[in-house]
Amino acid sequence: MEDVKVSDIDRNESNDKPTTDVTIFIDNQAVQVRADNNLLAGVLSNKLNLPYFCWHPSMGSVGACRQCAVTQYQDENDTRGRLVMACTTPITDGMRISLKDTQSEKFREQVIAAMMTNHPHDCPVCAEGGECHLQDMTVMTGHSCRSYKGDKRTFTNQNLGEFVGHEMNRCITCYRCVRYYKDYAGGDDFGVYGSKNQVYFGRQKAGQLESEFSGNLVEVCPTGVFTNKLFSAHFSRKWDLQSAPSICAHCSVGCNTSVGERYGSVRRVMNRYHDQLNGHFLCDRGRFGLGFVNGEQRIRQTKGIPQQSVERLTRLDVNKALAHFNGKKFIGIGSARASIEANYYLQKLVGDNYFSLGLTNTEMSLAAQHRALLSTHSKTKSAAPSLHDIEQCDFVFIIDEDITQTSPRVALSVRQALRNAAIEKAAGIGIPHWQDSAVRTIGGKLLSPLYLLQSKASKLDDVAEDIDITSPKSLIAKVNDITTQLKKSALTSGEQLDDSFTARLITAFKQAKNPLIIGGWSAESPALFTAITKLFEELSNITHSTQLLMMPPQVNSIGLLSLMTEQSLSLEQVIDHAQNEGAEGVSGLIILENELAALSVEQFALIKKQDLNIISLDHSKSEASANADIILPVSAVSESDGHFINYQARVQKFSQVHPTALPIQENWRWLNLLAMAVFPKNNLSKNVRSLAQLHQLFAEEHDDWLLDTMNEEHSIARETHRVSGRTAKNANFSVHEPKTTQSSSKLKFSMEGELQSDQQEKPFTWAPGWNSSQSINQLTSQPVNQSGKTDQFLSFFQLSPITDQWLTFCESLREVNFSLQVPWYRGEWQSSLNPEFILLNQENKVFISPQAMKKGQWQQGQWLTLRFSHLGEDASSVVAQAFQDERLSDDYLYADINLSLANTESNSVASSEEERAMMNSTEIKLSTANQQDLLAYQQAFNNREKHATTDKANALARLKNQDQYIPIRLVSGGLDDV
Amino acid sequence: MQALTHPLTYLVNLATPLNLTQYTAQGGYLGAIKALKEFSPAQVLEIIKDSQLKGRGGAGFPTGMKWSFVPHYDDDDVRSKENKYLVCNGDEMEPGTFKDRLLLEGVPHQLIEAMIIAAYTIGANKAYIFLRGEYHLAAKRLQIAIDEAYQAGWLGSGIQGTGYQLDLYVHTSAGRYICGEETALINALEGKRANPRAKPPFPQVAGLFGKPTIVNNVETLSNLPHILKNGAQWFKDVSPNSDAGTKIYGACGRVKSPGLWELPMGATIGQVLNDHAGGMSDGLKLKGLLPGGASTDFLMPEHLDVPMDYDSIAKAGSRLGTGGLIVLDDKNCPVAMVLNLLEFFAQESCGWCTPCRDGTPWAVEILTRIEHGKGSLDDIDSLLNLCDFMWIGKTHCALAPGAVEPLKSALKYFNDDFMQHIEQGCCPYHGGR
Repeated sequence: MEDVKVSDIDRNESNDKPTTDVTIFIDNQAVQVRADNNLLAGVLSNKLNLPYFCWHPSMGSVGACRQCAVTQYQDENDTRGRLVMACTTPITDGMRISLKDTQSEKFREQVIAAMMTNHPHDCPVCAEGGECHLQDMTVMTGHSCRSYKGDKRTFTNQNLGEFVGHEMNRCITCYRCVRYYKDYAGGDDFGVYGSKNQVYFGRQKAGQLESEFSGNLVEVCPTGVFTNKLFSAHFSRKWDLQSAPSICAHCSVGCNTSVGERYGSVRRVMNRYHDQLNGHFLCDRGRFGLGFVNGEQRIRQTKGIPQQSVERLTRLDVNKALAHFNGKKFIGIGSARASIEANYYLQKLVGDNYFSLGLTNTEMSLAAQHRALLSTHSKTKSAAPSLHDIEQCDFVFIIDEDITQTSPRVALSVRQALRNAAIEKAAGIGIPHWQDSAVRTIGGKLLSPLYLLQSKASKLDDVAEDIDITSPKSLIAKVNDITTQLKKSALTSGEQLDDSFTARLITAFKQAKNPLIIGGWSAESPALFTAITKLFEELSNITHSTQLLMMPPQVNSIGLLSLMTEQSLSLEQVIDHAQNEGAEGVSGLIILENELAALSVEQFALIKKQDLNIISLDHSKSEASANADIILPVSAVSESDGHFINYQARVQKFSQVHPTALPIQENWRWLNLLAMAVFPKNNLSKNVRSLAQLHQLFAEEHDDWLLDTMNEEHSIARETHRVSGRTAKNANFSVHEPKTTQSSSKLKFSMEGELQSDQQEKPFTWAPGWNSSQSINQLTSQPVNQSGKTDQFLSFFQLSPITDQWLTFCESLREVNFSLQVPWYRGEWQSSLNPEFILLNQENKVFISPQAMKKGQWQQGQWLTLRFSHLGEDASSVVAQAFQDERLSDDYLYADINLSLANTESNSVASSEEERAMMNSTEIKLSTANQQDLLAYQQAFNNREKHATTDKANALARLKNQDQYIPIRLVSGGLDDV
Repeated sequence: MQALTHPLTYLVNLATPLNLTQYTAQGGYLGAIKALKEFSPAQVLEIIKDSQLKGRGGAGFPTGMKWSFVPHYDDDDVRSKENKYLVCNGDEMEPGTFKDRLLLEGVPHQLIEAMIIAAYTIGANKAYIFLRGEYHLAAKRLQIAIDEAYQAGWLGSGIQGTGYQLDLYVHTSAGRYICGEETALINALEGKRANPRAKPPFPQVAGLFGKPTIVNNVETLSNLPHILKNGAQWFKDVSPNSDAGTKIYGACGRVKSPGLWELPMGATIGQVLNDHAGGMSDGLKLKGLLPGGASTDFLMPEHLDVPMDYDSIAKAGSRLGTGGLIVLDDKNCPVAMVLNLLEFFAQESCGWCTPCRDGTPWAVEILTRIEHGKGSLDDIDSLLNLCDFMWIGKTHCALAPGAVEPLKSALKYFNDDFMQHIEQGCCPYHGGR
């Protein structure tokens, strides 16, 4: 027998289901494939080339495109065989197929030829060219000559908003987009229209795509129908991009991304497959939210560091400027959006007693509880399910955490979990899970139960079995009640419960095999956190497989928790400290990548009042940096090396995509300089040149450094092997070949290094013959962790346990009566720096109960003024449109408020002050809006749009200019010269 | 006795269909009452199986066997409480076919009675008649009949004093040929796009709204009351040939008297064409014919003696289909006819799978050129390639293979005509139009 190929499957450690391999014969070669998937997946898993379009590893098979036809034979003696579609054919042990026989080869070419009857020959001007699945598949089938002589059909394209471009003439009608958008992501503003060869995919009317996952259309589409508009505006071919593996910094999931750069500016974000987390899909905030790196708000110069030469900053300049701080005491404020290394470094430099996590008292209370939760369940990981785990659940209960806004990727996984009921039903009549359309037929409208207990409507309402909307205050009582009822019903099983939300919830829960509870920080309520934890403990007693997901707010929130000590200061304590000890005790603050948005106006004023030296390290302008004496511009996530710890305590590395132009430096490099100048006696004040060296230093000097040592053995190329203009890119500036920037990590700023294969960090995905993101199927054909090994998890078990003293924070609470629903794309500071996100803002809405509407004699759609008692009469009014929501109780309302439009002034500082003030306000007065307020509001809305458009145009013009005149790589020099 | 030789049509009155009283007086609803009161559903199923009734919609699948695929669960199984559905396929859009229209407009109560029997047998409490959108008159008459049936206790809860309940609805289609495909029909009924579904699961197991569903053609169903009334043996004996029962045959084209005739299954093509349709119109000769609607292969004058039953027609190289002859004479261009048919199929493709969506318009493009005298020899090869490309097993449903049937057989039988178009640079029949 011929040699047996062993596929990637063996390396799979993380998959829950036992893998059952069977042997099948492909062109008389015996190969091993997994029996629980279809034939196409099996063929691809052996790195064989079989073209396909409509199949997608996450979306299963429907058999529409007919591209993956192969010939199946009955046995060795069967010479004729019959054509089957690989994607709809189950794998059976010993089955014999051929990919190379004339029959199937001819048919596959005919399919491409038929698709090409309508596909335009516009590859040279198409943004997909060079990473087009259709191009790859066409080459694969060998179709090269067109025999169709007729006209091609044409369509009118739509404006689908700021992010996704639309060019329907290129469509090959594989139905993937609509299956993704509607069936997978649950969107309802996109569909398929028409029939025959005039099938149209788009919206009913042109307009912004409403789904928070719309960007995946770009990767789901096998050709150039849906393209990334932001990328197209400042375009580069995939092969010319320099890429690096990165981590999305917008929420605590930490989706794996691949970021591409050319001419010193970040161009785009693509999904980087991770089987336990993002899989094949990102949310729009992750995909389109990196514009701030190139944005107008970016800090590009130092402040407070006099330079000897205008052109270059030297180490001497820095030392001189910081010399007089030598030996002084500083309070360090860390940040949940900075790497674990930077936070750790800062903590060790200032000392535990002078380190703040950048959290308020309330947040500290949440943090303490969260840390206790993680360390209690560190071993079972039941309080840290991966997204893959979530997708296996058959019951989901979400308590006042709008995951569609705070961490959208989780919501996408929850949607998949709800399909498990249908998948199970299908399995009951022998239909496997990957037969997508069959499973949906069998399932009908059947969904696994999702229960929502929340203070406002959410985008998951449409798939929920039961929803209870109530005020944040009564919500806590309700959760506690559920816990009590559950305890009771566990003791008296079989007792008929009444028909209440709680009763239905408990019944549904008891039928579940893998229940999941989701909560989070966004309610900012420690009491709710406690209540949810108690409920979880109670449920775990009944069903041991119960999982709990408490969503922390930021990308490295959990990393910060691991640094929390009993001495850690809250922001309020930082203010007290500064006030009490005065300038003698503490000479200043070092603020690491923190905009201090949680502070109120008054609190901020208190800090300003003290005679403190504020050193701010940040990448973009904020109020914190505006008040700093010294500003050290740090590189953004795409320009840095480091690690984030995600909500599961999973340690994830992000890598520099391109070197930054000095004086912008990575945060740890600045901290290294600070260490030597300000804390020369600290044992970490040694010159380090790479992140690996820094890790080594940490490990040598401190026992509590938990991260694994970095493996820097291999070289990996950031540039593709087809990159063009390598020596000529800067020829208009200098004809000399630029010196290659030396990389301090194993990823090289060049084409040198291993061509990526299965190895750990993939800067971009590519496989021979597969240029699109579909190449991932050739690299990781089965749900194998893309790193090839299991990720490291921070063990909270190893950390010092939480004392009761910490948990006393929970006692002092302040609950908020008014719930603000911040649109998700503004829910995060970084992405809100992008003009296109500002453009997406919706008008203000306030949702009111029928009784309140009646009382105020308001009509649906009427404009109201909301006054916040906190701020006085004039400054605090917000105009919002009133909508009746039947589900709200009498005394309760909620609003979608675009805070920056609160005032007619579209001044960004004013708006952020208001934002903070409003979060803390407790009393709201409603009245009918007068004409003047309304006009002012609408004016502000228009102004904002105008500003954003100008901003966007300016940034783009600047970047394009930069492509022409500025050498991308500043010749290495500057600081290291001295 | 008409009732025994022409069971389907003897009560047809196109001018004013029989109302409930008249229909009952003529022996109507006897089959239904027999089924409901004398037999258990399992017994009815046995009778239908025994009668060897085959589907009259075109595929000829044994009806009893189809019904027997509906799963039966024990009473304690939760799935036993699930709804089941019966759907009557009245989306008669096959070109050259109009047999169901006769039954729908002429004797609506017969269909209602039949659906009561079928629904009772499979245990469905809800039934739909999915009607071709253009059949306004049928929709009106059916609704009147249904209202009468509700009034008389033939529909609704506790039918005729039994514990059986059935609700019947008429759903008029928005008008797509593909809705004749049972799973596309179900999708349309659910309010979705009328794309055929992937099989398995078959509708008998998971059909309408994911529940077990039986879809039967109007003519198929209309046989049921008579089988119940007269017995399975009678049904088998009605036809002297291997297939049981009667069949409504039709003929259209340039024949002397186009129309529909209920004949014992297995009447020959010649009988239908010459004895009933009166032969070709004066001065015209038979060039070829499609035996069962547009999606069947051409048969030639030498096939006139072939009996029109499923097996015999298949042996001759075509399909019985709906049993409606489309007759081509010698003064009309076969290329133009095939082009016309392919235009229809290209228009009616649902757009789901590539061979059909992009293959049928491609064939239209080539045929148009040939018909207009702009074709080349290569085009014949391209057409043959397309026939291969769209053949059974390569497409998602039977629409494209159905389109291939007339095309492929035309290329075989009328090759000379195609060659003349190409060589003369114009259509020899219409002079290039």
